[in-house]
Formats: sequence, structure tokens, C-alpha cells
Amino acid sequence: MHPPLTPRTLLFRTSLAAALLMATMLACALIGPQDVSLKAALSGHPAGGTPSPDYEILVRVRIPRVLLAAMVGAALASAGVIFQALLRNPLADPYILGVSSGAGLGAMLAVIGGLSWTLWGRSPIAVFAFAGALTTVWLVWGIGRITGKYQVTGLLLAGVVVNAFFSAMIMFLVSIAKGQQLYATIFWLMGNMTEEDFFVLWVGGGCILAGIVALFFLGPQLNVISVGYQDARSIGVPVERIELAAFAISAFITAVAVSLSGLIGFVGLIVPHAVRLLFGPDHRQLLPLSALAGAMFLVVADTVARMVVAPAQLPVGVVTAMIGGPFFLFLLIRHSKKVYWPT
Amino acid sequence: MSKWWLLSAAIMLWMASGYAMVRSPADAGPRAVRPQAPARIVSMAPNLTEILFALGLESNVVGVTQDSDYPPAARNKPSVGTFWQPSIEAIIATRPDLVVTEAFEQQRDLARRLQRMGYNNLMVEVETIAGLFDAILAIGAAAGANRQAETLCANMRTEIDQLHATIVGARPVKVLWVVQREPLRVAGRGTFVNEMIELAGGGNAIGPTLHIYPAVGAEQVIAARPEVIIEPAMLPGTMDRQRQQALSYWNRFSNVPAVGTGRIYIIDGDLVSRLSPRLPTAIKTIAQCLRPDLSGE
Amino acid sequence: MTAAIQVNQVSFGYDPQRPVLNHIDISVRPGAFLAVAGPNGVGKSTLVQIMAGMLRPQSGVVLLEGRDLRTYGVAELARRIAVVRQEFVPAFGFSVFETVLMARTPYYGQWGFEGKEDRDRAAKALELTDTARFASRPLGSLSAGERQRVFIARALAQETPLLLLDEPTSFLDLKHQVAVYDLLKSIGQDTNATIVAVTHDINLASQYCDEALLLYPPRQSGDSPPASPFPPLYRIGPTAEVFAPPEIQRAFDVGVFSGAVGRERFIIPLGAMAKDANLSGRST
Repeated sequence: MHPPLTPRTLLFRTSLAAALLMATMLACALIGPQDVSLKAALSGHPAGGTPSPDYEILVRVRIPRVLLAAMVGAALASAGVIFQALLRNPLADPYILGVSSGAGLGAMLAVIGGLSWTLWGRSPIAVFAFAGALTTVWLVWGIGRITGKYQVTGLLLAGVVVNAFFSAMIMFLVSIAKGQQLYATIFWLMGNMTEEDFFVLWVGGGCILAGIVALFFLGPQLNVISVGYQDARSIGVPVERIELAAFAISAFITAVAVSLSGLIGFVGLIVPHAVRLLFGPDHRQLLPLSALAGAMFLVVADTVARMVVAPAQLPVGVVTAMIGGPFFLFLLIRHSKKVYWPT
Repeated sequence: MSKWWLLSAAIMLWMASGYAMVRSPADAGPRAVRPQAPARIVSMAPNLTEILFALGLESNVVGVTQDSDYPPAARNKPSVGTFWQPSIEAIIATRPDLVVTEAFEQQRDLARRLQRMGYNNLMVEVETIAGLFDAILAIGAAAGANRQAETLCANMRTEIDQLHATIVGARPVKVLWVVQREPLRVAGRGTFVNEMIELAGGGNAIGPTLHIYPAVGAEQVIAARPEVIIEPAMLPGTMDRQRQQALSYWNRFSNVPAVGTGRIYIIDGDLVSRLSPRLPTAIKTIAQCLRPDLSGE
Repeated sequence: MTAAIQVNQVSFGYDPQRPVLNHIDISVRPGAFLAVAGPNGVGKSTLVQIMAGMLRPQSGVVLLEGRDLRTYGVAELARRIAVVRQEFVPAFGFSVFETVLMARTPYYGQWGFEGKEDRDRAAKALELTDTARFASRPLGSLSAGERQRVFIARALAQETPLLLLDEPTSFLDLKHQVAVYDLLKSIGQDTNATIVAVTHDINLASQYCDEALLLYPPRQSGDSPPASPFPPLYRIGPTAEVFAPPEIQRAFDVGVFSGAVGRERFIIPLGAMAKDANLSGRST
């Protein structure tokens, strides 16, 4: 059984995980279809002259990509922690309330609408996916409110309904789409990591980082809520306010992540699980460690996706499922004594 | 409560510094000026490779997609991925002065990324025969090979006109162009294939459709009454096997004229599935299927 | 003296057409140990929830220490009232100690961590409920009775002047039933805390509680018409009065045999098939 958390333990573990993440990111930035040597890259940027390919590839392709993978992984894992806590369901993931179909629908509408304007140099697909994801969560939240005063079952059911309806709409759009549009959307939805320009990374990263820190502040209250909704109130936790805030922030960072990289499954489901099995359910620890672990996981998965069938690329979602599934099974079997499911 | 203020302040600072850094010119790409005659050209599609070689730019081509197989010399060039899955790292490694891409969606994204990094990119739309000629001229202009481009276009036009002269006045032969057999998909009226068919003296058996490569059912095939069925070969070297499979598949359509007369042709897929300088040859091949009596000229 | 808690003319129904509680008007003095009894479905749990602020009455008002309950903020309320309700198995594996420690959440420091004082109070609460030896075990691994004691410990760790308990001993064996009541009584005496406990055990309540509230079932259609427009559907007063055999019989619709213990009496319910059914005071 895990001993109760102390600030020192938390600081130590978080620092260690952060250092591990940095190392992983650097190592993975040096791996790719092209051979890149760190020495050549570091020396290959003479002032005023053209930089060497090593430098170009490392700085303009690899590092942005690794950063993107890290922030998307952190966002999805953090959102997963929150959704599991609020829905009191260890099998929840960030997409359970319709975010995935909402983002997909947004993306499809952008492609089929044939829009070609860009926002900060990014295609409209990302923007519409973001809007779609947020709209869907808001919709599900609203339906859940009407049907059951935030009761968990109401939210889950609303999520299922909205997912089903939006998926049907997506299928309809798919059937009337022209070939190229179809390809573009499906490819995008399967999860892709392409290098983004600095500004996008900065803004996206900032939003995600801010969201994760805010969620960390909600840690103690989330502990109480995850044990029992009704009792939480009598302990002094303003349940509705905390839940609303946590949902909103998690939905926001999920939407940012989806707009940056399409739909990547498994990260939001298994990383919180694995961290919880290893370190316990205290959210003050679960959240930062899951964020860092999620970042590491996705950076590694993306590297595998890039390398395994080079020069072609696997969709990252395929790799996350293939790595994540067996790994999780192993963890579960090993620690099955520590896990208690409601009867 | 103070931790929330701290967080908000940190966010403001983050966004502001990001904005400030973006304003600085350090982020601009290395190449802002497009050279008149690019020495290092990368082609991102097989037909673009063919065009570059046909313009005499073989020595300038430093990267091609893996499926660029014509002319045979192109296979020796370094690979930059495939048309569907380009490798941006491989492209960068060739240090190109010019990257030529097609205007398909999946390459649009690549073009955007390359432009963002400061690489020169020429995007051409090669979905119609007119587009092909424009593309040849555009590539010629970008590569400093205007004269060669004009010559190439002129030669191609002459060949096509000569072929066209032999079939002028004759009744167009009804053609069903089968892209995929199961499920059955054909080339519709909005495709460049249709243009080639018409130039070769044929007409598409299928009427206007919503999709340009529509899936069709047996009813439509029978109602269309094609006189000739043409299937481009999927893979090289399998044309005989594909013919066997085609014949056994089409047997059930016994009341379709093409099946009754046995006029089911398998032709070289690469030749007719891409718009390239080999267009005249492609049209000739099709014409031979439509009018075997005119072959051997 | 201001009542610890006062329920003024409160009516409530889950379905507004069929009120469960009808114009309840009671006052609990500070330091009292009040037992709440009555048949199933009569509204005992509902009343506790209304007193805890978890449900809003359709009419009437609840006054906590003289102030309208609705004016209290959530955290403020948590320092005045602690609630123990049905035990359950949580979805995540927090340890017993961590669960009890959660009661101190409103007192946590700026960065969300408990202080030494919080840990001490949680530890003390565990000792009082004889659950200290489970401290590092996951909550889900305990028996229902053990879990129930942990939830009581959690309420104690909140250190509130008012404790509301909904059937706190339903899963406990005799030893622990008595232990819990001993504990509640001594806390009431040491800290002058007010305790309201819903219970099915009339005898135990008689021995420990000073006052009792008995809720009667609503009138059935075959009964004789009421004397006044709103017949009292409850009775509150000293346990000896409220738990008198006729009242018990009326409330629970069961025959009883009662006798004296010492200062209080005992009540044994007897059905038609009981061995001593003839002593039940009811004609068969």
C-alpha cells in the first residue's frame, strides 16, 4: 500500500520524472529516418551561411515534433486523470464525453466546406476540430445537467448519445465526400505528429501547461470527490464548482491537443491507470506524474511510429495502442492485489 | 487564493514573451530568394519526375519519390519517401533549391511545411491535360528551362493532333474504364482518363456522375452497354494473370457487348494512370484498344 | 439558548405532490444526543439530509446556530456539520488513513498539503473508532462494519459541533455497536457536540440518547379521520416518553413486549409467530 504523500516525496518524484522526460526527448530527437549527428548539428549553423542538413533536420523537424508529442501526451494523460476522477470510473478517457466525434465532425466540416484560409499558418482543420471538441463537451455537460444534476450516469449517457449522433453525421459526410477530402480527414483524425512552427508550439504548450498546473491546484478536492460525490460536499468541497472547473480545463486542454495532432487514443486511458497502479490514487501526485509520463510515452511512441516503417510513417494512435495494451496488461496482472473494483 | 493569481500572472508572461519572440526575425527561413536556375530539384510525384527528366534536367534532380520509376534512370536517384508518405527529413537532407509538389491535399500540407521552413516550393495542378501542359511550362519557367518546356509541349501536341486526325469523323467507341473490380469502380466523365479516351476516339460508357471515380453497380454496367472494357494493370508484370481474372469476372455480364466480343483489354497501369510527357503514347495505346484495325502505323 | 439546529415547518417531498416530511418543526439543543427512529421510508434519512443542507426543503427553513442554513458557504458548513451516511466501496484505492485525512481538506495549506495537526487529528479519530490498525490498508479491503467505523472516524476528524449520523451501527457487531455509542456519548460530553443519530435500534438509543424523535408513517386510507388539520406525524421528547410501547406500536405497526431495565426500559418486538407472541399486547 502506498504511504500518504508528503511534499518532499512529490517534489522528488516530479523532478526525477521531469529529468527523465528531458533525456527521453533529447534521445528521441536524435533518432529518425535520416542520420543526424549532434556534433554536426551543433556546429552546422555558421552565421549568415546556410545551415547543415543536420541542423535543419534537428531544429526544424525533430525538436518541434518531439516538443509537440510531449505536450500532447501530457495534455491527454492529465485530462485522462481528471475524467477518471470525476466520472469515478477507471475506464474513462478524455474522449468519453464525445470529444473525439466532435473534433472529427469539426475537421470533416472544415475539409468538406473546402475552406482554405489559415489561422497563424495552420490549416482550418485544426481550428474547427478544436471548436468541435469544445462544443461537444459543452453540449454533453448541458445535457447531463438537464437530465441528472451532474450525476455521473447522466453525463456518461449524454456522452454516449452525442458520440453516436455525431459519428452518424460523420459517416454521412464521409459517404458524400470526394476521395481526396476523405483521405485528408481520415489521415488527420488517425493522429499525426508534424512539426509545427514555434509560435504554435509556444501558445499550445502554454495553454496546456497552464491547464495542468490549474488542475494540480484542484488535487486535494479531486481526492475527496473521487471517493464519493455526496460525501464530498459534507466535507467542505464545493463539488459542483470544482467539477465544472476541472471538466472545463480538461476539455480545453484535450481540445488543444486534438487540434494539434488529431485523435490519439490510449494515452489518456492507460497512463493515468499505470501511474495510479504504481504510485497510488492521490491526485496531487497522480496529475503531475501522469502528465510527465504521458509526455514520455507519446514521445517514444511517435519515435517508433516514425522509424518502424521508414520512410513511411505509422499513425501514432496505432503505436500507442500496440505499446500501451500489453504493457497495461502486465501492470494489471502484477498489481492485481492492490486494485479494488466496486462490487 | 494567491496561487491562482500567480498562475494567471505566469500565463500572461508566457504569452507575452512568446509574442515578443515571434516578432524577432530569427525565425525566418534560410532561403528567401529563389535562384533563377535551381541546381538541386526534388520531385514529389512520379509524373513530375518524368517531366523533369523530359526537360533535360536529369542532372539537377537530387531526390524523387520511391514510386518514380520512369525513366529507368530515375530509380537511381535518392528517395524522399513516397507520394502518399513523403519524408520531410529526406527532402531536407538533399538540400534542395526547389521542391516540386502536386496540388493534392496530402501534398498541400507538405508544401505548407516546406514553405514555413523557408524552402522554395512549386505546386502544380496536374489533374487535366490542360493542367499537364501548364505544369510543364511552369516547371520549365521555375527551373530555367523555358525553351525545353515549350519544345516538349509542342512535340506532344503535334503527336496528339496526328493521332486525332486518324480518327476524326469516326463514331466514338463506348469505353468502360475499370479502376477497381471489387467493388466495381470506374473512371467517370470528370477525369483526365476521360479526356484521354475521347482523344483516342472513344466515349465514356458511363454518364455524368457525382463522384469522378464512382462505384457502379451491375445494372449501370449493363445499361451502359460498353463496347470495350479497359483495365489498367495494377502491378507491372501481372498483366496476364490480371487478364485471366478479368475474363472470369466479366463472364457473368454476358449481355454486355464488350464481353460478347471479348474486347477486354489490360494495359500498362503506370502509363495511363499518370499525366506525364508520355501522354501521346498513352493515348495511342488506348486508341489501339479501341480500333485494333488501325494498329501498326 | 440558541438551538444547535432548528427545523422550522419544513416540508419536503421527492415528488412535490407527495410530501415525505410534512411541517416538521423541531429544535435540538446544543450538546443533545438525539435519536431519530421510525419505520422504513418515513423520511429519517431525508430529514438528516435536509439538516445537513444536502436537500432543500420545499417550504420551511433550517436554522443552524440561529442562522439560515442556506447562508453558509460549503467550507464553512463543513466546519459546523459532519455527516456519516451509508457506507460504500469507493472506486479508487485510498488507504484508511488517507480517507480519514480527507476530512481535513478545508484546513489544508496554500499548496494543498495537510499539516502535522491535521495528521494528528486524523490519527486520533482512527484510534477513537478502533480502526488505527487498518490505517495503511486500502479502504476497499475492509469489511462493511470496519468501513463504517472508518467513515465515522472521518466525520470525527472534521471536529464539528454537530454530528449527523444515518444508521451508523447498521453493519456493526455488538461490541462495536456499543463502542460507537460510547464514543458518541463521550464526545458529546467532552466537547458539548450535538449528535443526531438515525437508528433502528430502539434499545440502544434508549440507553444512550437523552432525546428521541419518532416519525410516524403517513395516515393510511382506512384509518379514522384526523382530529385536527395537520396531525403530528412525529413526536419529539425524552426517550422514555417517545419510546413508550404504544408509540412504538403505532409507529412500527408491530406488537411489543416491554419491561424496565434500570433507568430506561427495553422493548422487544413480537410478531404473530414469535415464541412469546401471547405477550405482545396485540390480539392475533
